[in-house]
Amino acid sequence: MEREQAEPPSFNRRSLLQAMAASLALAAANGRRAEADERALPYVNAPEYVVPGKPKWYATSVRFAGYLQPVLGKSIAGRPVKLEGNDQHPATGGATDLFMQAALLGLYDPERSQVPLHLGQPATWEAFDTDVFRRTAEIDRAQGGGFRLLTGAVSSPTLLRQIGDLRKRWPKMRWHVTEPIKEDARLAATNRVLGRPLQMLPDFSAAATVVSLDDDFLGPGPRQAMQARAWSKRQPRLFVAEPTPSATGTRAGDRLIVPSARVQILAQAIAGAAGVGGAAPAELAAHEKKWVDDAVAALGKGDGLVTVGAQYDEALHALVLLINERLGAFGKALRFTDPILAAPPDGKDSLGVLVDDMKAGRVTTLLILEAEPVQATPAALDFRSALEKVAFSVHAGLYADATANACHWHVPVQHELESWTDGRAPDGTAAIVQPLIRPFLNVRSPHVVLDRWRGGSASDHDLVQASWQTGWQEALLAGFVADSAPAAVTPTLIDRTISLPDPPSSDGLVVEARPDATQWDGRYGHNSWLQETPKPLIQVTWGNVVRVSPALARERALSNGDEVRLRFGNRELLGAAWIMPGQEAHTVVIGTPDAFAFLDSWRQAGVRLEKTGKTRVIASSQPIQDMGEFDYVRTVESAEEAAAQHKDDVSFYPPRKWDSPSWGMSIDLDRCIGCNACSVACMAENNVPVVGAELVAQGRQMYWLRIDHYTEGEPDAPRHHFQPVPCMHCEQAPCEMGCPVNAAVHSPDGLNLQVYNRCIGTRTCSAYCPYKVRRFNWFEYTGHDPDSIRAMRNPDVTVRSRGVMEKCTYCIQRISGARIAAKIAGRPIRDGEVVTACQQACPTEAIVFGDVTDPDSAVSRRKAGPRNYSLIEDANTRPRTTYLARVRK
Amino acid sequence: MPQIFTASADTRLRTAALLLAIVFVGSLVFTAGFMNSTYLTSVGWVATQPVPFSHQHHVGGLGIDCRYCHASVEVSAQASLPATHVCMTCHSEIWTGAPMLAPVRASLADNKPLHWQRVARLPDYVYFNHSIHISRGIACAECHGRVDQMPLLARAKPFTMEFCLDCHRDPGPHLRPRDQVTRMDWSGWHQDPQWAHKQLQAFGIQPDKLTNCYICHR
Amino acid sequence: MSDIAPSARDFRTVTDEIVDISLDYPDRKAWWLCFIPALLLLMSFFISVTMLFSYGVGVWGNNIPVGWGLAISNYIFFLGIGHAGTLISALLLLLAQHWRNSLNRFAEAMTLFAVICGGLYPLVHLGRPWLFYWMAPYPNTMTVWPQFKSPLTWDFFAVLTYLIVSILFWYIGIVPDLASARDRATRRRYQVFFGLFALGWRGSARHWARWRQSYRLTAAIAVPLVVSVHSEISMLFAAGPIAGWNSTVFPPYFVAGAAFSGFAVVSMIAVVLRHALGLRNLVTSRHLDLLAKLTLLTGMMTAYGYWAEVFDTLYGSDPQELETLRDRLVGVYAWSYWGAVFFNFVPLQLLWWYRVRTNPVLLFLIGLSCVVGMWMERYMLLVTTLYRDWLVSSWQRYHPSFWDWSLFAGMLGVFFTLFLLFVRFLPVISAFEIKEAMFEEKEERKEAGRA
Repeated sequence: MEREQAEPPSFNRRSLLQAMAASLALAAANGRRAEADERALPYVNAPEYVVPGKPKWYATSVRFAGYLQPVLGKSIAGRPVKLEGNDQHPATGGATDLFMQAALLGLYDPERSQVPLHLGQPATWEAFDTDVFRRTAEIDRAQGGGFRLLTGAVSSPTLLRQIGDLRKRWPKMRWHVTEPIKEDARLAATNRVLGRPLQMLPDFSAAATVVSLDDDFLGPGPRQAMQARAWSKRQPRLFVAEPTPSATGTRAGDRLIVPSARVQILAQAIAGAAGVGGAAPAELAAHEKKWVDDAVAALGKGDGLVTVGAQYDEALHALVLLINERLGAFGKALRFTDPILAAPPDGKDSLGVLVDDMKAGRVTTLLILEAEPVQATPAALDFRSALEKVAFSVHAGLYADATANACHWHVPVQHELESWTDGRAPDGTAAIVQPLIRPFLNVRSPHVVLDRWRGGSASDHDLVQASWQTGWQEALLAGFVADSAPAAVTPTLIDRTISLPDPPSSDGLVVEARPDATQWDGRYGHNSWLQETPKPLIQVTWGNVVRVSPALARERALSNGDEVRLRFGNRELLGAAWIMPGQEAHTVVIGTPDAFAFLDSWRQAGVRLEKTGKTRVIASSQPIQDMGEFDYVRTVESAEEAAAQHKDDVSFYPPRKWDSPSWGMSIDLDRCIGCNACSVACMAENNVPVVGAELVAQGRQMYWLRIDHYTEGEPDAPRHHFQPVPCMHCEQAPCEMGCPVNAAVHSPDGLNLQVYNRCIGTRTCSAYCPYKVRRFNWFEYTGHDPDSIRAMRNPDVTVRSRGVMEKCTYCIQRISGARIAAKIAGRPIRDGEVVTACQQACPTEAIVFGDVTDPDSAVSRRKAGPRNYSLIEDANTRPRTTYLARVRK
Repeated sequence: MPQIFTASADTRLRTAALLLAIVFVGSLVFTAGFMNSTYLTSVGWVATQPVPFSHQHHVGGLGIDCRYCHASVEVSAQASLPATHVCMTCHSEIWTGAPMLAPVRASLADNKPLHWQRVARLPDYVYFNHSIHISRGIACAECHGRVDQMPLLARAKPFTMEFCLDCHRDPGPHLRPRDQVTRMDWSGWHQDPQWAHKQLQAFGIQPDKLTNCYICHR
Repeated sequence: MSDIAPSARDFRTVTDEIVDISLDYPDRKAWWLCFIPALLLLMSFFISVTMLFSYGVGVWGNNIPVGWGLAISNYIFFLGIGHAGTLISALLLLLAQHWRNSLNRFAEAMTLFAVICGGLYPLVHLGRPWLFYWMAPYPNTMTVWPQFKSPLTWDFFAVLTYLIVSILFWYIGIVPDLASARDRATRRRYQVFFGLFALGWRGSARHWARWRQSYRLTAAIAVPLVVSVHSEISMLFAAGPIAGWNSTVFPPYFVAGAAFSGFAVVSMIAVVLRHALGLRNLVTSRHLDLLAKLTLLTGMMTAYGYWAEVFDTLYGSDPQELETLRDRLVGVYAWSYWGAVFFNFVPLQLLWWYRVRTNPVLLFLIGLSCVVGMWMERYMLLVTTLYRDWLVSSWQRYHPSFWDWSLFAGMLGVFFTLFLLFVRFLPVISAFEIKEAMFEEKEERKEAGRA
């Protein structure tokens, strides 16, 4: 795949393609023939290297919580249509997460802010510039006194340079940082134990045993792709102790369900056993003791690593550091570098300081650069009222959100896919972000916005290039600056004292706040792909729920959807109850951003819960998750044991001979962490429409690739399974037999085809499909799309209209592309040449796709293994998509 | 009470029934014809173009190769229309002042694309790839007709599914040597009766697979 | 035997009695009282279909997994009802059962209209109804043919054939009576109307000979259809690899059920007509008795189908099948299963008693209960199977929406409108066949006299 340096084409140059997307822009019929005219607009000056109809790939990155996530952007006729992982990148090696995949929609989102707003009224950039100019004059006089800059976490060298310049000019100005979901405790712990704040980089591919104390390192977050990829390389033996199920917990061989208050005690026990010393642990319950003993035994075998959740306090992290040092993990399974995100000048309470100053009237001018402090900060701060005391407040961001409305000015900024910027990946590797498209809205880069304050007029390109004198070309082509990760630090312990606070109280109900798996801190609230994506483990879309344990549900007679009121102090939170099997009895879990309005910390004891008597409709993509007696997900004791696939494929007919290539897929259920990256990638690649909460609740969701979640056994302590379910492409497909008009047919290379333009919508195929993977266009979902969404559609995939059935095609457009390329080159299609969107997106390489008739292909080798089995083989459909059974430990 | 039906009533009834039958059959015949009429297929219709560009003059007369203007036809799914500056490579030298070319000059001057009307066009659920057809020796003329004889461009073939399938079912007779693809007047395939068959072998074309839905629909 | 066809009266009075109904309808007030509600329901049909076509199938409650809903279960329900008519007229004609002569006309009409309603459902339920003709094999520029393995393709043929044959059979049968109506008509517009449709029938020996040929021929064609059509429709379910459908008992099960619901409806209509039009002497209690017996017979056959299904499941003990059976007996849609069992078979048992069989009111109520029961059965067979199929993860509830119900009401409107028009303007009973029956009675009695 060739990669180019961006020569950003302007929006109107997508002409040819626009014209290709027929039926959209039809001129009026000219009366001579039935067919209406259609305009075709060629280039005026054809850009170099651009071949109409051929995709180009640009290496760039998208931003997430201050970090950069490396991606390759696929651009057709100047429009980015798909983001994929950068397989060359040292951190991710091509792995992605759902936020990375969904960033594309962020660019085209019709809800994006498009014009500057002054006091809520549309204004011009000129008016804003003059206003700012007037303001800067005053600030100059005060040498920056009263001027404050508020940003999110920053890893961008350019932005840091700009802030530095600004502070040179205005010595009295101050810069504050707010990142709602952060890891201060870890930095503080390293600062205490190792003498200076260091970034911990656990390397799960170097660990044989990992003990996670309520640390969801496989769960959503900026490091998910990186850590999940590393974990999948070796899949270390995993011990997890946690109050509520997490992605990491579901992968654990030994999962211990404990209230978060016990986590510290478990840590002490492990410390004691590992010989770190410290306070003798309180008495352990029998099952806790067994878990600790097993964990310690496994750790003892070497290459051990202990991690603890970022939400726990500094002292506990310090203790765990000591344990890891004793385990000899330093430099191996646990590496250290200097902090990757710029440290907030006022330490971790940077925002608190700002709010105090604002309340005290010490702030006259506030510039908020791409942050949402009004909603995504603890309610106790009461940022909104503090903001009213500021004479001149400016918000620059993608959306006119709550903060924007509370400020005097709101100015719209560019999305990273249309602007120049830079930053660092979670492993510290620096990268330059190049635009895939010229801005099609009247917006400015955050760099430019900031530059205007010091009277500059440079373009974002120049500003960024200024920080990268050398290696510009190479960095753009590779998508990262080679070897730019900060050097590994080998730290020395300076403080071995252990001073643990008393374990926090756990009286009454304990509410745990968790980052939302699809909205993060709420910053993706506008992204309908993510909204419609079911949150892992609860399978709820569009909004969050209050997760209660089965025990509590029994005690309070709660059932899914019952509205409950959480009370704590004078605060209260209304939400719908959702029963979470495997959750600790007296733990209640709520998600961000709701949590911000209710709690000031990630954990709160003594919360009261009561039913309001109302019930809410929950848009769940999978109402029933108990696997019951069925064996959809099979588990074997050891990797060698066979998954009890009965081989006798009975048939009255002679077996059909398939000639090469003949496509098939294998999904390793042990590797799947249910992150939904594949599902969102599929939406992007295949133009899958979003239908909204109401229709999801009715069972009309459109995902081509869904991730089923099953619980096996006792609801109080079940085993959790994820199972991605695309079309099975059955060799004996019932759907094909049912269709009266030949819209569902089989291809010679083993694909089960759905021909949209032939479908008349009898829905027989769906009725006959044992896997129910077929989706129906109940309404016209795509016909009313705004232009920007049409511009985002993948031109290689038909956009389906009302009344037709659709389903996973194994990314047939990619297969056809590879087939044509191979034919022109006069060679067979190579193994690995066709990579489906889901396969590419998967951070753990759980999905393998290829030619099943070639015994040496990756997929054939996998299917030959003992763990291979096919879903509900009793249906005798001979699916081409098969699964690898889970291994118990 | 007078008879209201005379003796001839039966005859009239029978005649009426007969006429009805004739009308029914006739309407079937008409529909069949209508479906293939140029009114629906647009064959032979000339669209109003910003510039009355003559393929007859440029291809037939001057002998310019198709690929000079439709540059990406060999490498991409789309043949692509020429950018304005391609026209101007010549017309900055000749016919510089011709009023007929005013729109072209205007396009270059104020950087606005020319608004051509598409002549050869398929529904958006049909994925036709030029490059593979060219590389297999399907001549431009197979679908676009003898453009060298068209003063104004018109659709030469009915782009119905039937038209595509006829060729996909039996590609042999439509194949040419690779280097003859853009020629308009080539007729050499009568030399060797086995030639088409050999071509199929050489290119590894399997007609049975060519008629599969997903060859064109995705 | 004397009360099969009344011998006391002569042929002329019989004809008068029947034909005068259409020439000069006795109780117009009552007719309008029925016809106006029917028209309102018909309006609901047009509104529902307009909604459906302008917004899409989404206006219904269907989802995945329950991609088929009320539309398909009603389709089967209506076609089922449509089976009694042909069975009564054609089969009993060939078997020379003369007592059917008092029933066949309106039974056939009922069949015809039920088939029309049933046939409309699959058309409107399509995602893209304007392309329904792709189901038909015709030469086209896509050079694509229907998929002949699909049960739906054969549904299309089956329903179409059944519709055409029903129309033919019914029309051929009514021609002689149209002629008598023409001859009796005094008002010109009636004369013209009946005259045209009587196709110049003069009752000559040649006419009768031709007529008898064609009538018996169509009957011979119609009889096998009775069995084939609903067997075919049962394939719509039985061909799917879904637990609860994939069963060989379905074809006979469906045919029995169809005839059952059909006879129930015929008995109801017979009771109403003989009362409303004062035809007690033509549709006698003996007829009711026979209809009731047929209903009872087919009802018991259907009951056997239920039993066979449960037995198969338990005997086969396939986990998925057992799961579906459990859902039917105790699931959220258990009401439809037990409702079907109760309404179909419990009141039915009363028909073992002669007094009940010959009591019009009771017979009507029992017939009604059977119809309700059969509707529930169709609903149960469709929904309880689909809403929980192979994978737990795709289990979903199904709630028919307002537009589902309004279309159902509308379909009833179509049925009643057509049927009331038939009652109002056409001979509801086959006069000439009654006379034939009476004649043969006489002959028999003569025979008896001689002996």
